[in-house]
Amino acid sequence: MDLMSVQKLSVDQRVSDVSLGLQQGEILGLIGPNGAGKSTLLNAIAGLLDSSGEIELSGQKINQLRRVERARKVALQPQFVESVWALSVHDIVSMGRLPWGDSDQTIIQRVMQQTNIQDFARRPVNELSGGERARVWLARVLANQPRVLLVDEPVANLDIHYQQEVMQILVDYANEGHAVIIAIHDLSLAARYCDRLCLLHRGQQIKTGKVEDVLNSQVLSPVFDVDVYVDLQNSPPVVLAQ
Amino acid sequence: MSRTLEFGFNQSIGGMEKYLNPFLIMTLLVVTLVSISFGTIDLNALTALMEWFAASDSREALIVGEIRLPRTLLALIVGAAMGLSGAALQGLFRNPLVDPGLIGASQGAALGAALVFYFNLFSSLGALATPIAGLIGAAITLFLLMGLSGSMARPAVIIMAGLAISSLASALLAVVLNFAPNPYAMQELVFWMLGSVSNRGLDNLAILLPAFALGSIVIYRQRQLLLGLSLGEQVADSMGLEVVKRGRYIILGTALLVGSSVAIAGNIGFVGLVIPHLIRPLVKYRPDRLLVPSALAGATVVCSADILVRLLPPERELKLGVLTALVGAPFFVWLIWKERQRWI
Repeated sequence: MDLMSVQKLSVDQRVSDVSLGLQQGEILGLIGPNGAGKSTLLNAIAGLLDSSGEIELSGQKINQLRRVERARKVALQPQFVESVWALSVHDIVSMGRLPWGDSDQTIIQRVMQQTNIQDFARRPVNELSGGERARVWLARVLANQPRVLLVDEPVANLDIHYQQEVMQILVDYANEGHAVIIAIHDLSLAARYCDRLCLLHRGQQIKTGKVEDVLNSQVLSPVFDVDVYVDLQNSPPVVLAQ
Repeated sequence: MSRTLEFGFNQSIGGMEKYLNPFLIMTLLVVTLVSISFGTIDLNALTALMEWFAASDSREALIVGEIRLPRTLLALIVGAAMGLSGAALQGLFRNPLVDPGLIGASQGAALGAALVFYFNLFSSLGALATPIAGLIGAAITLFLLMGLSGSMARPAVIIMAGLAISSLASALLAVVLNFAPNPYAMQELVFWMLGSVSNRGLDNLAILLPAFALGSIVIYRQRQLLLGLSLGEQVADSMGLEVVKRGRYIILGTALLVGSSVAIAGNIGFVGLVIPHLIRPLVKYRPDRLLVPSALAGATVVCSADILVRLLPPERELKLGVLTALVGAPFFVWLIWKERQRWI
């Protein structure tokens, strides 16, 4: 059985009739041009937007859960996060435990190690660099230990070193028996790290499947309105506009 | 569940922060004793208090029980209410420049109370009429602010929306003053709005204390929301915190605190702005842990300010609210100066 199944999910005119299945251990990449509906879809799955259709988690309808129970199972890392107050890194990671109502130090210490932020645990988050901050935000959702982790463009503003690091953290998290849905613009990274991809365009689900089925120039070129060069045999794989 | 949460989140308090609340409580007790001891007649505060509790009708017992104790307790509660509501509103709006007086809540409360003063509204409620009208006024302005500034508003937008709403409330208040039934009523209203805790009997506490207790509990129960909101509404919502529903409780709690305080003591401004700002670094910027120390420090500061007011020559009494504004407004100017690069 799928860990999560999404059936005919629609949000206003922004996303229509999206159906997805998500296996344990899997990273599903949401790709598509700007405005395709990637963030809307993630927000709807997280329960932040009113939507029609059905989402089931291990066979249970997700909208029958209380808000806080849903938040324990499905966690969202939005694209833009900022802390208004100069909170310490440790306090921010601890906030991941808010849905559970505890501050489980074992989990908090473990995710700080996984994301390699334990060295600056006591420092205020606003003093950190962009790459360090990105890992702190990620540690916050990981501390929640959701079954399904939703991440919106976690690598958009990072240098190639941190891009790799963040993607590897997500792979490791999925391999621990969870699942990850990631909205991502960088198609080369998507090719390298995602198990399956879902291509969206103007709110429509164009194609969903294995990386090689979605990432080919016949599929991508009309959607992105540009000739796309794809070399999945290369290591790492390359997907670029020509 | 809420019990484990409390335990869990208090666990990680360390260092200096552990001593903050005990220190503030000590200071508050000292200031309270000074406030009761201090006056034109020298007396031993503790003995006089004991006598008053024992229903003695000695001169000392009467002075303490009828004059100084009500004045002191009112100053403490109003100060705590202002400190706490400032901390709560700053957390809710994620903005260090928010204060009940700066966003129109105090003006709304004053308008409500003034209407009752003049037109004898809710006369069936007796002494409760003014505070209830104050509460309704504060709540209306706060909900208007939320509606006008929108849920994702940037700091500057909230301040502008607050300015617009406080201007509206002030304009309506001017109308009320304009049509004052007689000059004395107008003078009385103006003096009351300047803010003071003098010449108010213990019976005021019967209204203020329950409103304060209820408002504080309502706000304190939403402290996780304030913490979650540090990372924005989207994150707080995704953590199952139900921002809109629970945010309304904070507004309601604040309206209880501000409405009842303003209705009884008038406008004691800027305490809600300054106190949370000073306390924030001491609690490592945690909006949830800011609440209790802000209430304690607010109580101490307003009570101290009231002692200072009593030290000044008695013939032209400086109103307590005027004093807090004289100190607080320059602080506000300094805060804008310091924060302005963040807005551009």
